[in-house]
Amino acid sequence: MAATPEVKPAPTSPRRGPESGRALGAGAVKLVRSFLTLREGSIVVVTLVTFAYFAISANNFVQGNTFKSLLPYFAPLAIIAAGEVFVMILGEIDLSVGAVYLFTPFMFHVFHHLGLGLYPSLILAVLVAMGCGAVNGFFVAWVGIASFVATLGMLFTLDGLSLIISHSTPVQVPGTGIGKITNFAQVFGGGTYSELIWALAFVVVLQLVLSFTRWGLYTVSTGGNRLGAAEAGIRTRMIIMRNFILAAGLAGFTGILEVVRTTSATPDPSGSNTLLLQVVAAAIIGGTLMTGGDGTIVGALIGALFLGILTEGLTIKGVNANYLNLYLGIAILIAMTLNVVVRRVRTGSGRG
Amino acid sequence: MADEPLSGETAGETVLGPTSAPDDVLRIEHIAKSFGPITALRDVNLHLRKGEVLGLLGDNGAGKSTLVKIICGFHKQDSGTMWLKGEPYAPKSVDDARAHGIDTVYQDLALVDQLTVYHNLFLRRERVFKPIPFLNNVLMRRQARTALDEIGINIPRLDVPVARLSGGQRQAIAVARTVSSDADVLLLDEPLAAMGAKEGASILDVIARLKEEGNVSIIMILHNYVHVFQACDRVSLIQDGLIALDKPTSETSVEELNEIVVEEYRRARLAAQAGNGGSPGNGAGATAEGAAAKPDASQ
Repeated sequence: MAATPEVKPAPTSPRRGPESGRALGAGAVKLVRSFLTLREGSIVVVTLVTFAYFAISANNFVQGNTFKSLLPYFAPLAIIAAGEVFVMILGEIDLSVGAVYLFTPFMFHVFHHLGLGLYPSLILAVLVAMGCGAVNGFFVAWVGIASFVATLGMLFTLDGLSLIISHSTPVQVPGTGIGKITNFAQVFGGGTYSELIWALAFVVVLQLVLSFTRWGLYTVSTGGNRLGAAEAGIRTRMIIMRNFILAAGLAGFTGILEVVRTTSATPDPSGSNTLLLQVVAAAIIGGTLMTGGDGTIVGALIGALFLGILTEGLTIKGVNANYLNLYLGIAILIAMTLNVVVRRVRTGSGRG
Repeated sequence: MADEPLSGETAGETVLGPTSAPDDVLRIEHIAKSFGPITALRDVNLHLRKGEVLGLLGDNGAGKSTLVKIICGFHKQDSGTMWLKGEPYAPKSVDDARAHGIDTVYQDLALVDQLTVYHNLFLRRERVFKPIPFLNNVLMRRQARTALDEIGINIPRLDVPVARLSGGQRQAIAVARTVSSDADVLLLDEPLAAMGAKEGASILDVIARLKEEGNVSIIMILHNYVHVFQACDRVSLIQDGLIALDKPTSETSVEELNEIVVEEYRRARLAAQAGNGGSPGNGAGATAEGAAAKPDASQ
């Protein structure tokens, strides 16, 4: 039995090597490989270097508390960025995710106020968020407005609605209470690791969808060559629609996670729009192209982690708050330059 | 619309004359299509017999690609009707046309640069696992290898993005995608344009083999007359959005085809010169433009 099997691999020519049968585990190998592609590799390295720098220079950086205070920063970012990546692969952008994130908790509050249960309210609120995404998708795919403009309109509309609905005062979030954490809150944002678990679950599922399903394939096709994809029979408008709905749904759901964690919802458009820019930054740092056709959910997660470590590290080091954004900006530029250089080396093209 | 009686007159001699037969796989009658002010097709009548290879000729901008895109369901005609295997045929989408057995190689190839060779080959016909519809990349890669071997094109690696391949290889992938489908009517829009002599010959071999098997019928847009006389049973020449000639290849010649095209060019140039009458600064560039915009000039 042991004598015969080793014959096959040797005689095949090296060129045919990658083609030869390796049915079992090929999916797993591909997953590992896409994990270790240089594109994501560069941001992994940058993140590790950043981490090491803070671990050495700030003596109280490596401890459980740092990680715990990092979570609420990076987990929501990772979830929303996952949705944004789906839109950015199309070559579009969704500027309304921050506004949807702000607006959805108020819908949750309103539905609960109307006498609905916690779970129906939650589901309805997320459906409303997805409806906002559908409106974005409609304007982009059917009306033909540039996504930058269409979602900018949605951004202001929802910021305005949030202020109107809330009478610009914070509201107590249903299902939460001061000093006690209900089962509902435990699952949807209140538990210490709740947001992290949601983030990891979304990232894993959506990366699988992107890499291994038709939806992912058609998303890349639509972003890479929209006319060609349509000629091949892909309903590109439906794909655009679907991805905008996904992005808005995730943003809305994350908004609810966040207000359940903090137990109150504050109508603060400037905060949510800062979040929007961080989401886009996380996606781009993670290796997603603004021009479409390429992107990675795992990369966006790492991009979010990078931003989290940077902010947290600078804070722990006691950097003057005025300098925080300056350092953040420079770090983003450095990380992006690295990404571009690595990509150029990898694809061997001057076009980028 | 206003010029319909006029064009009917012009096309009178080619309206499904004696060359039409009851065993036509595809019949196209009085197809017209405009894009805004540009009239691409005025009144096109065409038929395709079972097992036949029809060469579609015509100058740039004559409407060949538009006609193909109407047949394959990408565009909808403004007026006119189509019959497929005796049934009225009005595709709602590219998918719908494909369900009717029509598959297309587009002039722009419709490849996605970022996707691998085998993903492009199986775009819209992906092989997936059963309960959970994950892509079966291993199966697709194997079948892609078989399909490419069959048409005799050597692409060493199938798991690289097609952006890295040469123009001829990309075209071969687009052709393989269509030829390896289950379709029995193939529309090939300049399938040899970017190919070297060797690659082009192997594609022509594939077409010759398909013709021999007799199961598929092919409409092929070509520019090279040598290829036309080598591969096609019959030629149709589109000019000005009309069919100007429809003959079996055995009854025509390179000279006749050239004569028609050149004559048309002369006519268009005269029309353009008359239209631009005497205005200074109209060099050769303006004349060529006038030739391209001939549907407008003739009205």
